[in-house]
Amino acid sequence: MSEPILELTGLNKSFGPVHVLHDVDFTVRAGEVTALVGDNGAGKSTLVKCVAGIHSMDSGSVSFNGERVGISGPGDAARLGIEVVYQDLALADNLDIVQNMFLGRERGSGWLLDEAAMEQAARETLASLSVRTVKSVRTLVSALSGGQRQTVAIAKSVLWESKVVLLDEPTAALGVAQTRQVLDLVRRLAQQGLGVVLISHNMADVFSVADRISTLYLGRMVADVATRDVTHAQVVELITAGRSGDLGLARPENATV
Amino acid sequence: MTSTPTAGARPDEVRRHNRTALLRRLHVDGPCTRAALATELGLNRSTIKALVDGLAESGVVEERVPRARSGAGRPSLLVLPQPLAAVVLAVDIRVEQVAIALVGLGGQMLGRDSWNLRGRAGEPDEVITRVIESTRVLAEELKVAPVAAGISVPGVVRRRDGFVHEAPNLKWTGVPLGDRLTAAFGFPVRVANDAEIAALAEHLRGAARGSLDAVYVSADVGVGGGVISDGSTLRGTAGYVGELGHMVINPAGRPCYCGSRGCWETEVGELALCRALDLPTPSPRGRIVAELRALTPDHIPVVLGEFTHWLATGLITIVNAFGPELVVLGDLFTALPPQVVTEVAATVSRRSLVSRAIGGTRLLTSTMGTDVKLTGAAELAFEPVLHTV
Repeated sequence: MSEPILELTGLNKSFGPVHVLHDVDFTVRAGEVTALVGDNGAGKSTLVKCVAGIHSMDSGSVSFNGERVGISGPGDAARLGIEVVYQDLALADNLDIVQNMFLGRERGSGWLLDEAAMEQAARETLASLSVRTVKSVRTLVSALSGGQRQTVAIAKSVLWESKVVLLDEPTAALGVAQTRQVLDLVRRLAQQGLGVVLISHNMADVFSVADRISTLYLGRMVADVATRDVTHAQVVELITAGRSGDLGLARPENATV
Repeated sequence: MTSTPTAGARPDEVRRHNRTALLRRLHVDGPCTRAALATELGLNRSTIKALVDGLAESGVVEERVPRARSGAGRPSLLVLPQPLAAVVLAVDIRVEQVAIALVGLGGQMLGRDSWNLRGRAGEPDEVITRVIESTRVLAEELKVAPVAAGISVPGVVRRRDGFVHEAPNLKWTGVPLGDRLTAAFGFPVRVANDAEIAALAEHLRGAARGSLDAVYVSADVGVGGGVISDGSTLRGTAGYVGELGHMVINPAGRPCYCGSRGCWETEVGELALCRALDLPTPSPRGRIVAELRALTPDHIPVVLGEFTHWLATGLITIVNAFGPELVVLGDLFTALPPQVVTEVAATVSRRSLVSRAIGGTRLLTSTMGTDVKLTGAAELAFEPVLHTV
């Protein structure tokens, strides 16, 4: 068994006087979907932004593939192969699918872009994910449905051979059928061997795709459990109260002061 | 084809037959010019014109002037199958997950869904309910109405009515899956063994295309196989065939749930691979794929040596028994390092007497990925549909 693809230990982050993340440990394994759940303000998005290099960490260490690394900016994260798909979809409406997938990393030499090669690569990537719902890769992103946009955003991470993909509420703005299609894609991403982190508020979504569930409660990582070992009710308890039976925070009477 | 060989065919039957053949050609091999259709089907151009006109009128195909012209003269019109003219439901029930897709004429997947089976979610009632609900949601979203369904099940299935006798890895026994889904959907539902379905997919759209004698072997939790013999699927009495994973291969091996000991699947199935890679059992598919990819060339013989040995041993027996020109490895086997596949191929061609006799059975990994069973299930559903569209 090899090392986890991404491992954070003892991560702390404060915004001024507000201590957002307390000694958070977080592990992502290649080929697994890890759901990151927690109430509003529990620190999920902050954690993701720390991993993505958008926020600096106050303390804590990061290992990638078993090696100690430092992430001090989005460039570092991208070089390691960490890709984030945000809730609000960082896609450009006025560009087509190919242009979006290659945005900022266009192929070609000098003044000339190699449109044919880019189109080919985009098409192959979508095919490798069995995405056949998009008619043409030259469709403008503004003409796509919410689900298709998410698909393009996710496919982008595959095209760039990312090792870890973090998805921040990818289905928050989608209808039932589109949500399911995106979750199906998330699952196939993991089956290709990528480490996938899914932030979601929807327990049904979490249970239908996640292999592991990591729960944040008021900035602390209270549980990291295999989905098969827990029930819906237990996870909801962990999210709202920080503990459920033997899982999560120690009971106050047992806690050492 | 309904006509029996002893009865003469009336002109309308001939027409119907030609129409189905033409549609099948377009469905499996994609858009094609009228001229090419005439050559391939061996029909004259006016017959093709009449058939295509009829299909175009009912909206099953569309005709377009081809973009790239070849040769002189008026270009022959390109005939394109219209995906929405006939939509079928494909369902792939696996041990750990269920995937469904709505597939249009020509094989395009219009929409899809999948979910994990954990605990109660794997019980037949739960699976059936979720398949029905999920299909409804997907069909509404896409604004299509499926006309038939094909279901892939990892178990022993009666072809006639889709009765699942035993699907041990799912812990199902005696489930009238076909009847229950037919009653719920109101359209024909065909159920078949997953390996047989995958073999069908490989034969029509994958690596075994155009190959008359091929064997498809795949590993999930269980190991199964499908055999294409002389161009058609080999089926046993009532369709119970394909349990290649239960060839006893290592009499001193582990006990198998089927009551036997040392079945092939206990040596080359997903659990065996987890053991070799030192992963917890069961592990998610992606974990196994990632571990296999992380292996360095020097490490492969150490970690997978025994696995490679058993894989080759089983394949030698299969090649000797069925004499295929081609063996396609599917599902989890596609994640094996190329080095392992090469070694297995070499061992098989050296040690199998049939392989030596036919000049070397080829061994390929499937290029259809995890969708092979969905594709095959769609083809199973399309079989009767093409006749009636």
